[in-house]
Amino acid sequence: MKMNKKNLIQQLELTFTDNEVNTFEENVIKIYAKKEQVKTILRYLKDNGYNHLALISCVDWIKKEEFELIYILTSYLNDNKSYQEKGNVYLKIRVARENPEVETVIGVFENAEPYEREIHELFGINFRGHPRLIPLFLERKYDVPPFRKNFDTRKYVKDVFESIPVIPEEEE
Amino acid sequence: MDREQVIKALKDSGKWGHKYSLWAVYFCTGCGIIEIPPSITSRWDAERFGVIPVASPRQANLFLITGYVSVKTLRAIIRTYEQMGEPKYTVGFGSCPINGGMYWDSYNTIKKLDKYIPIDGWIAGCMPRPEAVFIAVTHLWTLIDKGMANAYKKYRKQYKYYRKNQEMALGKLEWPPLYPINEDE
Repeated sequence: MKMNKKNLIQQLELTFTDNEVNTFEENVIKIYAKKEQVKTILRYLKDNGYNHLALISCVDWIKKEEFELIYILTSYLNDNKSYQEKGNVYLKIRVARENPEVETVIGVFENAEPYEREIHELFGINFRGHPRLIPLFLERKYDVPPFRKNFDTRKYVKDVFESIPVIPEEEE
Repeated sequence: MDREQVIKALKDSGKWGHKYSLWAVYFCTGCGIIEIPPSITSRWDAERFGVIPVASPRQANLFLITGYVSVKTLRAIIRTYEQMGEPKYTVGFGSCPINGGMYWDSYNTIKKLDKYIPIDGWIAGCMPRPEAVFIAVTHLWTLIDKGMANAYKKYRKQYKYYRKNQEMALGKLEWPPLYPINEDE
């Protein structure tokens, strides 16, 4: 069966009943999913033509005590028409802020590996089943991962960079 | 060249040589490097001032640090600087190496670069125009003439302070000290 967008939304609502599917804008389908189902939904979307994981992003909602992970999928097919038809899918999941842990999606999209490493480094989210969660960018060690909202950058700068002394002038 | 300058050049031919052959390391940090290709190519033509980019730090004696310096870049900057032959001149380009610029409260950007390597001069601005590079170069000529561009000598003398600061920012350094450090002093 040829899947167009309207069909896909219906199918998604039927298959994954506890999720909310929305289309606020043209060309964007937003899915608010449970975090346990992320791998199944991604697999389902991949089978239906959304075969490119463009990005995994993360937002820290500190007042709600939650992280929001956003998986952006597009169609990677060569012809423009298919992309126009399919548009993007934003799959959003919420994770509790305390001991955040999500299952890795490398099994579905292999290019998720650096994205998950980056999010692990900057937000401190643990990806279960990830083969190597080692630091990606940062040189220094941080007590709180630096992209979390409760990381106090000014205090950190004051404590670390301001405390390094100025080089004394030479004695004649 | 003017006739008056001939005598001056002959009197101190070493300085004369240093002045007109400033070879810059092609080292890119941050966004300032976008100003360097127009400066060295035909539009502004840095070769009028004797500035040529070279690939290797061992052939260079001018180091333009062209933008914000992250902690990871600082490691590369120190290694590049220590490989350059003397006399070597460093110029901080843009407002970020001076005091952090717009990254003043960033968790991962070096704020004051002259705590880690010696700097001969600064070009303020975000971004400085290519003309500012040439003003800096001509100013550097004056400093060389007067014997004031001696940041590399300061690096040699105060090396233990520099090394200490570098270790504070980067942790343990994996290369040996460039100059011997006397702990007793």
